[in-house]
Amino acid sequence: MRCSDLVRLWDDLREAGAAPSREAVLAHLRLCSDCQDAYREYEGIAYCLTCLPVVEPPTGLVPKILEHINSLRPASPDMFSHVRSPLGDLIVAFRETGITAIAICSEDSDSSLCESIAKRLRRGLVPAKAPQWVIDVVESYFRTFDADRSKVDISALTEFERAALRKAAEIPCGEVRSYGWIAREIGQPAAARAVGQAMARNPVPLLYPCHRVVDSTGALHNYAYGLELKARILEMEGYVPPARAVNAGAGASRA
Amino acid sequence: MAALAPLDRESRLAQPAAATAPSRSEAGTPGPENFERIVDEYQRRLYGFALRMTGNREDAEEIVQDAFVRAYRALAKMDPKQRAELRLQPWLYTITLNVTRNRLRSKRPSNVALDALADPDALLNETQEGPDQPEAIIERGADMVLVEQALLQLPMHLRAAATLRFIEGRSHPEIAEILNQPIGTVKSHVHRAVRILRRILGPQVGRIAPQEGDAAHAVL
Repeated sequence: MRCSDLVRLWDDLREAGAAPSREAVLAHLRLCSDCQDAYREYEGIAYCLTCLPVVEPPTGLVPKILEHINSLRPASPDMFSHVRSPLGDLIVAFRETGITAIAICSEDSDSSLCESIAKRLRRGLVPAKAPQWVIDVVESYFRTFDADRSKVDISALTEFERAALRKAAEIPCGEVRSYGWIAREIGQPAAARAVGQAMARNPVPLLYPCHRVVDSTGALHNYAYGLELKARILEMEGYVPPARAVNAGAGASRA
Repeated sequence: MAALAPLDRESRLAQPAAATAPSRSEAGTPGPENFERIVDEYQRRLYGFALRMTGNREDAEEIVQDAFVRAYRALAKMDPKQRAELRLQPWLYTITLNVTRNRLRSKRPSNVALDALADPDALLNETQEGPDQPEAIIERGADMVLVEQALLQLPMHLRAAATLRFIEGRSHPEIAEILNQPIGTVKSHVHRAVRILRRILGPQVGRIAPQEGDAAHAVL
């Protein structure tokens, strides 16, 4: 065996199962002092590398990875059911964390309402029997015009949308506030239009009372289910509109 | 007696709970549904590998995150047969290496923070870990930094070969699988890496070479 053949075999000596060439390599090493020196140097380097410490990853690494992974997982679908109400049938979407959406049945077909809920929540929607707690939350609103919002899940919304809806939920029953008022209250005074958007896209009407938000003149301005229904819900809650504002609102809606 | 043992690293690289954790056959094939366990089991290994490859803790952290996300996406697309046949550990190393390559390619070498590796705490922990470790390592702390720096001067393919072989303690066939190269090429790269390191470390190597009782002496 030549010295130049030997060098490629050194690393094999480190393997637990002896390589076939092992004895030949050792025989050469015993006789060749040049190769002995070179081998010691080689092993010296290998030894240094094996001695480098095992470095601990930062403690936050695993939670960060898992958070990222979880955001990639397709969310399980919400369930939905029909619930009767003084405003007619409602389609109520829910999951174990709370009610996630409400649609007031109208001329639109149930399937198109479900489709828009699924699109809004970016999750699937499967029919299910409404559990009692879902019925209780809805019925409780129609009795008290308030809702147990610990059983309403708006986590699918943006932070801004959630802040705007939470502020809307502070408007007492029988009263209204303007889009600008909410914008100011949540610390974004220039965002009145964005508040209007957030109210228009509210997936849980009634339980988060976007109907109590009107424009700065007091006109009802807009509602996903039409101004007539907005006025009816407000009236049901005991709101007495100033006569001029109602006219202005009706006028605006025709414009 | 000081032991030269790349395989010793295996127990230190594995999670502390690994001894009691179910083996792959018990836990089933890897998939998106048991990905938490995969992250838990391999994060130390992959972080260490990425750190040795980059010399930078921030880079290593981002590389490992990115690698796990890629692995998750790929697993989610595999059919059950592909998952059952997957050799998880080499596959994860390969992904980590690819992410590392992409990242280092887009970065200037000057961004490498060599001093990030010289963690005195890590060195201290290392020396306290067990009686098998040569006590001399405490005195060789400064030399460790030289070795780390020398490793980072190697071309990427040689650094990968040497890191997998000596620091990660992988076998030649496994490295061949990770790097998608013939075993002969792997051996040749490992050898070239050591030769270059020897040249870089130069006179230092005499001081940090194993002394009586180390494997180099044991085989002679």
